[in-house]
Amino acid sequence: MASSRGGAPGRSVTARPWFPWAAWAVAAIVVLGLAFAVQWRASGERLTAARLTFIDTVGYQSPPAVSPRGVDGSGRAVTLPYAPQPEWEPSVDASPQRIATRATWYALAVPPLPDDGRQLYVYIPRWKSDGSLAIYADGRLVHQSHANLQWNGSNQPIWFALPRTDASHPPRTLDIRLQHVRGIGGAFSSVWIGNYRQLAPRYYTREIFQVGLPAFSVIAFLATGVFALFVWFSRRDEPIYALFFLMSAACFLRMLHTFVGVHPLIVSDAWFGWITVNSLFWMGVTLHLFMVQLHRTRHPALTRVLLANTLAWTIATLPGLLDPTLIAAPIYINVLVLGMVVALNGLRHSLKAGSRFALWLAIWSLVTVVIGVYDLALQQNLVNIESVFLTNFTGVGLTLLCWYIMFRRYVEALETATRAKADLARRLAQREAELTASHARLREVEGRELLNQERQRLMQDMHDGLGSTLVGALRAFESDRAADLDAVGILRGCIDDLKLTIDSMEPVETDLLLLLATLRFRLQPRLEAAGVKLVWDAGEAPPLAWLDQRHALHILRILQEAIANILKHAGAREVTVAVRHEGERVLVRVRDDGRGFDPTLPSRGRGLANQRRRAEAIGAILAWEPSSRGSSLALALPVEKPPRPVS
Amino acid sequence: MSIEAGSPAPLKVVLVEDDTAFQEAFRTALAGAADLAMVGLAATVAEARALLAGPPVDVLVVDLGLPDGSGVDVIGEAHARWPGCAIMVATTFADERHVIASIEAGASGYLLKDSPLPTIAEDIRVLHGGGSPISPRIARQVLMRFRPDERTPAEGDVEGDAETAGKSAIPSLSEREKETLQLITRGFSFEEIAELMGVSRNTVLTFVRRIYAKLEVRSKTEAVFEARAYGLL
Repeated sequence: MASSRGGAPGRSVTARPWFPWAAWAVAAIVVLGLAFAVQWRASGERLTAARLTFIDTVGYQSPPAVSPRGVDGSGRAVTLPYAPQPEWEPSVDASPQRIATRATWYALAVPPLPDDGRQLYVYIPRWKSDGSLAIYADGRLVHQSHANLQWNGSNQPIWFALPRTDASHPPRTLDIRLQHVRGIGGAFSSVWIGNYRQLAPRYYTREIFQVGLPAFSVIAFLATGVFALFVWFSRRDEPIYALFFLMSAACFLRMLHTFVGVHPLIVSDAWFGWITVNSLFWMGVTLHLFMVQLHRTRHPALTRVLLANTLAWTIATLPGLLDPTLIAAPIYINVLVLGMVVALNGLRHSLKAGSRFALWLAIWSLVTVVIGVYDLALQQNLVNIESVFLTNFTGVGLTLLCWYIMFRRYVEALETATRAKADLARRLAQREAELTASHARLREVEGRELLNQERQRLMQDMHDGLGSTLVGALRAFESDRAADLDAVGILRGCIDDLKLTIDSMEPVETDLLLLLATLRFRLQPRLEAAGVKLVWDAGEAPPLAWLDQRHALHILRILQEAIANILKHAGAREVTVAVRHEGERVLVRVRDDGRGFDPTLPSRGRGLANQRRRAEAIGAILAWEPSSRGSSLALALPVEKPPRPVS
Repeated sequence: MSIEAGSPAPLKVVLVEDDTAFQEAFRTALAGAADLAMVGLAATVAEARALLAGPPVDVLVVDLGLPDGSGVDVIGEAHARWPGCAIMVATTFADERHVIASIEAGASGYLLKDSPLPTIAEDIRVLHGGGSPISPRIARQVLMRFRPDERTPAEGDVEGDAETAGKSAIPSLSEREKETLQLITRGFSFEEIAELMGVSRNTVLTFVRRIYAKLEVRSKTEAVFEARAYGLL
């Protein structure tokens, strides 16, 4: 029962794990449905018939202000979208001044449009110039690319308003000039013309899917990557966070070209091409390392090969060496092979290790590679160039997948922490119970020990005092010497003994004077009966921390014995009990004005030996002080705890 | 043994005790004193109650361990029915717990059972005359009981008449009373205390009697407080 409860907190987090996925699916279907609905409602005039002419040039020139004569009628009739087959090795000289270029002209006849005074727009889904673009309406320049020559935002659809002059609106012709590297580029999609209501849905739908969505997702990916980087700063032994950041950074660099370039870039075309093409390798390698972290199966040889492959292209395509833009096709094929290797390796090891996350990533890599083949075909103008680069969307998918992995890691870490806390609390309770039990056992042992000591003490006391007195009296009665005995005196002595024993059991709490007061209270009747005056000279006494019940009885007995001796032997009329605090000791003096005695004589025998033994037991000193008259007994008690334990 | 010749009416004494040996000793002690007359004897709580229904006496001596109950109950009832009667506990060891409980019930002294017979008679006379014996340990115990009241010293005036018109629910000890108790805990006798404090022995006896009375009031007030706290009142 208890073991089944341990897993409960983990399961209770999501009662229906399919629910979020279903929500995502519904949201995606709704968005796509809306996009199709918007596209379906759109209209406008689509121009597909064009006449193509070209002039070979060297380097790049500015487009003319008006389209030259001869462009419109003479050329070869083509149907847009038109895409010439690019060459694999287009130019030997990559410098913009000396590169072999070509000016390709498309001349389009615009069918008569109703001149209803509405603003007309031109919408071009894709232009694969790999160079500069200029658009002429009725022979006059109305739009041109103004940024970099190669990385100039050609992934982004063109959308501009036709100028409204008094000359002609709507225009009758549209001429398009592309100046591009000879051998690549120069492809052009169909051209749409119409008013805002007709064309805006088409343009914005394409803009969102082709530019907005990838840009948004990759920026968000990078943001979470930066977050992961800071996590890694504080958890250096978990490289998965650093890899997450590197992956997001590579992904970001790769996706830049889909949403920048319409305006001039801060780096040259050469560097931008280097970044854009090589970032695919970097993505592949970081993805591989990330998956290794997930499925935990290192493959050093493969990793080395991948790194060498990546490094080779990264170095070979540095600006000044090979131009990655011009030889993109073979590089992309290499990327696809690398991606395939990474995906298959990931697939194998994630299946072996049973790593769910690595498996998903591997499958997604595989999907990306397959789609990459399609994108390569698109890049090589092998499929309709108006279609969309689908790897942009697999990039969005990768972002979502990585987010999910990180989200699960976070949630699992929290669950682990919760379980650990519960486990800790349980172990703590267990330990506490053990300690309590052990403490109780110790207390029991201690209690028994204390009881034993107390029994020992009382036994000893009874044996020395009450017991021996009673036995002595008994023997006397048995042997008919009873007449010689002071039976009442003996019994009173016994009762006094008993009372002092009982007194010694009450706590005195360090108060020596209270202890002595109790003694006086007990002995006063006997002193009075014997006609002896007691002078009580109780001065000050500091609290004695060591004064417990065992010590108390020893002190009581020593003084009781002293007073008993005086009553028995000294014939005194006055007894003085004085208490003084002198330095490190407290002195209790018992003086009498009787006959006195020589303590060196063995006459007092056992009584004195007992007194000495008791004094020694409590770390006190017992001394008979010289006195002019009578005797004087001094008991010196230490203020501090005696070093030796009491027997 | 002091016999006050010519005193017309001897003190009427009642003993509540089940031990026949002490009954005998007590009877003998009082027989030897012309001024003391034993007028009643009860061996159980029930018998004691029957006696309490009768006319009051001067001195009541109660043993605590009775066969059908505690002598403390007898003391409490006697204190209520016979307010003028001096009540004593008969005890062997004068142990703190029992004596304090008895004083709180209304007793004003105790009698040590092993005292010599003349001492018994003398103790009864002293008690009736207003004197209350107190051992150092009991003095200390009383001091401890009153310690919390030291937080409100304004309540206790110098002469210790703290029961003034419900000003203070719980009476506290005056400085003189405290000093008396402290001297007792240090072993001084009433005579020595009188000398040390510069008062007469009778004043010291008055202090002790007041202390006993306060202890009794205090315990009753506390009982009321507790009863209120537990919702019984």
